[in-house]
Amino acid sequence: MKKKSINDRSKYGYLFISPFFIAFIFLGLYPVLFTFSLSLQKWDGLAPETFVGLANFKRLLTDRIFYLSIWNTLRIWIISYIPQILAALLLSAIFTMYSVKGMKMFRAVYYLPNLVTAASVGLLFNLLFNGNKSVVNNILQALQIPGAPFDFFNDPVFTSGLTSYIQWWMWFGYTTILVMAGITTIDRNLFEAAQIDGASKGQTYRKITLPLIKPTIVYITITSIIGGMQLFDVPSTMSDGTGEPDKAILTVSMYLYNQGFKNHNYGYSAAISVGLFAVIGLMSILSLKAMKRKGEDRNG
Amino acid sequence: MKKKMLSLLLAAAMCVGALAGCGQSQTQEDTGEQTADAPQPAAETDAGETDGVDADLAAELNIWSSGEELQRFVEGFNQIYPNIKVNITVIPNTEFLSKLTPVISSGQDVPDIFTGESDYVRYLVNAGVWDDLSQAPYSASEALEDVWDYVKDVGTDDTGAIRALSWQTTPGSVIYRRDLAEEVLGVSEPEDVAAYLSDYDKMLETAAVMKEAGITMFGSWEDVMLMALSYRDQPWVVDGKLVIDPKMEDFLDIVKTIQENGYDLNVSEWDPEWIAGVEGDSVFCYILPTWGYSFVIKANAVNTMGKWGLCEGPNPYINGGTWLGIYKDSPNKEAAWAFLEYVTLNSEALQEYASEYGEYVDCKSANDKLAQGEGEETLAGQNIYEFYNQVMSEKPHVTITEYDGQINSAFKTAAKAYATGKLSKEEAIEQFKNDVATNYPELIIE
Repeated sequence: MKKKSINDRSKYGYLFISPFFIAFIFLGLYPVLFTFSLSLQKWDGLAPETFVGLANFKRLLTDRIFYLSIWNTLRIWIISYIPQILAALLLSAIFTMYSVKGMKMFRAVYYLPNLVTAASVGLLFNLLFNGNKSVVNNILQALQIPGAPFDFFNDPVFTSGLTSYIQWWMWFGYTTILVMAGITTIDRNLFEAAQIDGASKGQTYRKITLPLIKPTIVYITITSIIGGMQLFDVPSTMSDGTGEPDKAILTVSMYLYNQGFKNHNYGYSAAISVGLFAVIGLMSILSLKAMKRKGEDRNG
Repeated sequence: MKKKMLSLLLAAAMCVGALAGCGQSQTQEDTGEQTADAPQPAAETDAGETDGVDADLAAELNIWSSGEELQRFVEGFNQIYPNIKVNITVIPNTEFLSKLTPVISSGQDVPDIFTGESDYVRYLVNAGVWDDLSQAPYSASEALEDVWDYVKDVGTDDTGAIRALSWQTTPGSVIYRRDLAEEVLGVSEPEDVAAYLSDYDKMLETAAVMKEAGITMFGSWEDVMLMALSYRDQPWVVDGKLVIDPKMEDFLDIVKTIQENGYDLNVSEWDPEWIAGVEGDSVFCYILPTWGYSFVIKANAVNTMGKWGLCEGPNPYINGGTWLGIYKDSPNKEAAWAFLEYVTLNSEALQEYASEYGEYVDCKSANDKLAQGEGEETLAGQNIYEFYNQVMSEKPHVTITEYDGQINSAFKTAAKAYATGKLSKEEAIEQFKNDVATNYPELIIE
């Protein structure tokens, strides 16, 4: 009798976790499977789909723009991610090792850009830099900088760099908070012991903090890859969806959006997203492996 | 799980971002045109005519529109059909197709009527998602004779079925500043100013004169392209083949001249600076069709009220427009037709609408009546209907294809690359061809 009632109760467990799985099946799994099946078809969005086998993937493999968009996305991500993690490590070190006055205020302010919708941020920077009479050009002209006004958004290097900068600016606060959270999970006794043994603050940070927050950093890196490779809103609002100049900020997500909703090649668009899925998967595995190996080296 | 949460959050952020985007573009489109004063319905005139219509028709119509205009007809429409409830959902043009295609493909909650802008209207027309309006239960025929061919031709599919109509016709003009013309050229009347713009070379010479006087000739070279698209003889795509008319190649040089000499503001259309130019004292003209006059000039001219004029440029042109049709499986076809007929074929209602908002409409009879009436205050009394009737009589070249949105955008990119010296002319044309091939692999490109 007793055994049975336990069994009965365990059923409630499934009941309680079921909402997630129901939502996941309809909102997560179904769209994923639908995308895979769509990638094997030709569909303009209105006429009935026709099965074309692997034709979309054949085109994908030889599509110069697809490779260009992967490179763009990767470049924008790396250039924003490295300063992001460095800034986060530095700030979290300062915040946890010294009692900074108004630390909570700083932390909130650094996090703030993350709360502004990316589309507004894109638009804001557009207002700052676009056109001969933009805010920045006005300032430069007032300062009589030679060459002003500059055609900022005609320069691929500048535009791509600006996108990375915006991504950095929006995300370094978030990353800092995650790193700080990681640091607070470290056993205080370790720091005390190190202090008693005469370790300097720098040594403590390098030898104790860094190795112990590695899981946090792995987590940040992988979620950042996943988010970064899907970058869409900022470059899209900055360039009106085109990714110009010279397609320098055409990300994979923008390219697949354009192929789908602007050119009505939904099948090909789905194939691009499968391609993106493969790229993200590969990068996640690689970074996971790289970090693991690094950890093993240190242990050995 | 955490990862999933984050990607969910990221996805949500993306959605929110996209939504914020629509809010923006929407407000940009209808600058200042938010009407607290609803359109004066054609109540009295229409009341006498309700004999032929079934005023008891009761239904709830769902309409998706990419602009605010349709809402302006609702009050007048409900004077005749009090029992038809009209729900209009405005979806910004940039989002329109991505919202529309999923509901059509699923067949769930498809609006009874939806609009299509010139960039993609041919795609919707040829997809057969709108009903044929010449067949029962609509059987439009007589009333169609009063409608400009442009509206009917674009709304007619390759098999000859008419699937969409519009309340507007969109011939173009050069909207210039009378005071600046007087100051620099010594003339201000449309015919006299047009003489300075009679061909593209002459227009650029005038731009140089303006430049010397410290005035920027154009808002943006992209305006000039709206006119140049009707300058060519063939559309972008003929029989599945990309056509680059020699006149478009010439246009590349025109863009280069404009950019190199600073004849425009060096911004895109709809940029805040481009719109602000309307109220400034440094932009001589905007080259825009009817909708541009209504939404850009008339809506923003306060200090420059009465200082504008319409004249013709090197060639007559026609560009843009919004069509609407009835969904083929709509359960409310009768009521939908009542609304569509009121908006596109009711000459009196269109006359009321046009005189209120300064738009040129699809019904010739309404335009003709308004051409007899008073002129526009913004234009120092010039009558836009008389002017646009003249442009239409010159039969501007119509070049709309279902590929226009993307091809025009690729052409602008190539033109800009050439104008700023990044690419040579040949390279720019090559890049343009490659971009078109990427967008539409099914097109033949030579």
